Amino acid sequence: MLQEESDLSLIIAQIVQKLKGSNLYSQLERQAWASLQRPEIKLESLKEDIKEFFKISGWEKKLQNAVYSELSVFPLPSHPAAPPEHLKEPLVYMRKAQGSWEKRILKSLNSMCTELSIPLARKRPVGEQKELLNKWNEMGTDEPDLSLFRPVYAPKDFLEVLINLRNPNYENGDSLSFRTHLGLIQVPLKVKDIPELKECFVELGLNIGQLGIDDSTQVPPELFENEHVRIGQKVLSEQDSAAAQQYIRQGSPTALRAELWALILNISSQPEDVLYYEQLKTNVIQHDLLVDSLIYKDVKLTASNDDYYFVFEDYLYQVLLCFSRDTSVLSHFAFNSASPPKSYIRGKLGLEEYAVFYPPNGVIPFHGFSMYVAPLCFLYHEPSKLYQIFREMYVRFFFRLHSISSHPSGIVSLCLLFETLLQTYLPQLFYHLREIGAQPLRISFKWMVRAFSGYLATDQLLLLWDRILGYNSLEILAVLAAAVFAFRAVNLMEVTSLAAAEAVLADLSTLKVMPLLQIFLFATVT
Amino acid sequence: MSRVLVPCHVKGSVALQVGDVRTSQGRPGVLVIDVTFPSVAPFELQEITFKNYYTAFLSIRVRQYTSAHTPAKWVTCLRDYCLMPDPHSEEGAQEYVSLFKHQSPSMTFPKWLSHPVPCEQPALLREGLPDPSRVSSEVQQMWALTEMIRASHTSARIGRFDVDGCYDLNLLSYT
Repeated sequence: MLQEESDLSLIIAQIVQKLKGSNLYSQLERQAWASLQRPEIKLESLKEDIKEFFKISGWEKKLQNAVYSELSVFPLPSHPAAPPEHLKEPLVYMRKAQGSWEKRILKSLNSMCTELSIPLARKRPVGEQKELLNKWNEMGTDEPDLSLFRPVYAPKDFLEVLINLRNPNYENGDSLSFRTHLGLIQVPLKVKDIPELKECFVELGLNIGQLGIDDSTQVPPELFENEHVRIGQKVLSEQDSAAAQQYIRQGSPTALRAELWALILNISSQPEDVLYYEQLKTNVIQHDLLVDSLIYKDVKLTASNDDYYFVFEDYLYQVLLCFSRDTSVLSHFAFNSASPPKSYIRGKLGLEEYAVFYPPNGVIPFHGFSMYVAPLCFLYHEPSKLYQIFREMYVRFFFRLHSISSHPSGIVSLCLLFETLLQTYLPQLFYHLREIGAQPLRISFKWMVRAFSGYLATDQLLLLWDRILGYNSLEILAVLAAAVFAFRAVNLMEVTSLAAAEAVLADLSTLKVMPLLQIFLFATVT
Repeated sequence: MSRVLVPCHVKGSVALQVGDVRTSQGRPGVLVIDVTFPSVAPFELQEITFKNYYTAFLSIRVRQYTSAHTPAKWVTCLRDYCLMPDPHSEEGAQEYVSLFKHQSPSMTFPKWLSHPVPCEQPALLREGLPDPSRVSSEVQQMWALTEMIRASHTSARIGRFDVDGCYDLNLLSYT
């Protein structure tokens, strides 16, 4: 069809334009020039010979991986008449809601600024810069007075905003009727049901081997695990992102996980990347941001208190402080419904040439933000690599968990998916919890916002995040949340208050995620 | 082949409803929007572009004059074209849509054209992937276009978040 052809051309043009500014492009150019020396490159068939050379030397594979990465991250080009806001978020009422929410955050940050008389940003005096540089690897030993700082918002504040989201064109009345949603989310987004989820997550089926199930001690490794590891090693040697993404749907062997994730996210630590990280570190040394104190506070309140993650405290500062200074993150706002906060250089209010973004990466951390980084510390120990992986995970996935959008992997859709699954397949439980004033979403929301980080045991969390990467979607978080409720349904049916329900679901550290998911999707009578 | 916007007058939507609009409680599911083309010479319509707002299905009817003597008749160009796959959910609800001439064979206007626009023969559409050399030539065109656009932008300083070394900020701005 003509329309599809022009769509394809547009996608190709977009990807080409993006890659043209990348390191890979200059490397390919250099390689092409260098290849002219080679005997097999003939002038009369120059184009074909160079293409062949790229194929043999593995450069074509690198290009394929880069293209695949762009396709995974960037949304399809929208209609030419659609303005940029439409790409961020197509529904006007959601954009407005996100705008209002952001305004509240900005007001909160501004009032913190004025109350504490602390500037948003300041240049560090030279002495302080030296001091920070010296203790860069042990910032955790610092005990600054953070008592006056409070997190800008917590997940439960955000939940209240989502609960109040309304589509002005959707009439479902104020009184309870068959059209009112029984859960907390009242917007009619399209979510998958179990038959559709089964199709989508077909590799999690009962007759397909999984890491997290078929590698348990009772199962002989010859049945699945050995072969799966062998295939994983082959995928890594081929350096094929798409194959890695397909492979990891069945889970990643622990020894291969760091490399597989890097391959899927198309992260290869080049010298330029290490240099870039060092530049960010210099930015941290030179300028002190108010946001830094929020990061410190968050790390101290969450990761430092966690049995699994407290050892990584220093890494967390090294990643998050640099993350705040990274202007390359700004590009993801093209497809994020959120927008980076703006400010003006002191004394130049309103003058556009003195307008800047704050923080430089446009992301204001909230309570629990550091938990997005913590699990990655198990996989990566070199700070610049850890940093790159986290940044890529953020601009691909995590940003959707704390912005208001209609995207199928956005937190609003995840909440609705969770509630709908529970209502449809565990109606008695849903009704009971509702009756006792324990709306299930109030309990599961925090799990989903944090992608279960800090709630599951780390090996289980990593198996879950394997599938997030494998399916390039966060929907599995909602399915797992519903599966957890299904698992503890018997106990939950007996509670009579929200507090008691919370208690039943307080400790998820003993759960095995893959059996739960498999049973919920494939072994529950529908 | 250059394309121009045709000036048109879009009237407000009218509900198709049985009974008295004022007293009836029911909400009609069908609305009609009239589009007229005032004082425009005959033209060949290529594309209709609009932004949807919760319309699930679209039909387009055109009043055609076949000759000076026979009365004009209404022709259906498009019937029940689906804009929202699930009308009870948000999919497609606020999307930008383009409808092309090839989607409706009868979507032409009066038989003679005063602007002799060459009529594009529909390309032999191959099943599967489009012709690569055609795509690459289109890509080159688009590349040239994007380069032009890029050249006209002032170059941003990559990686720097300050202004001339200064990042001394007052408060966050709400606008």
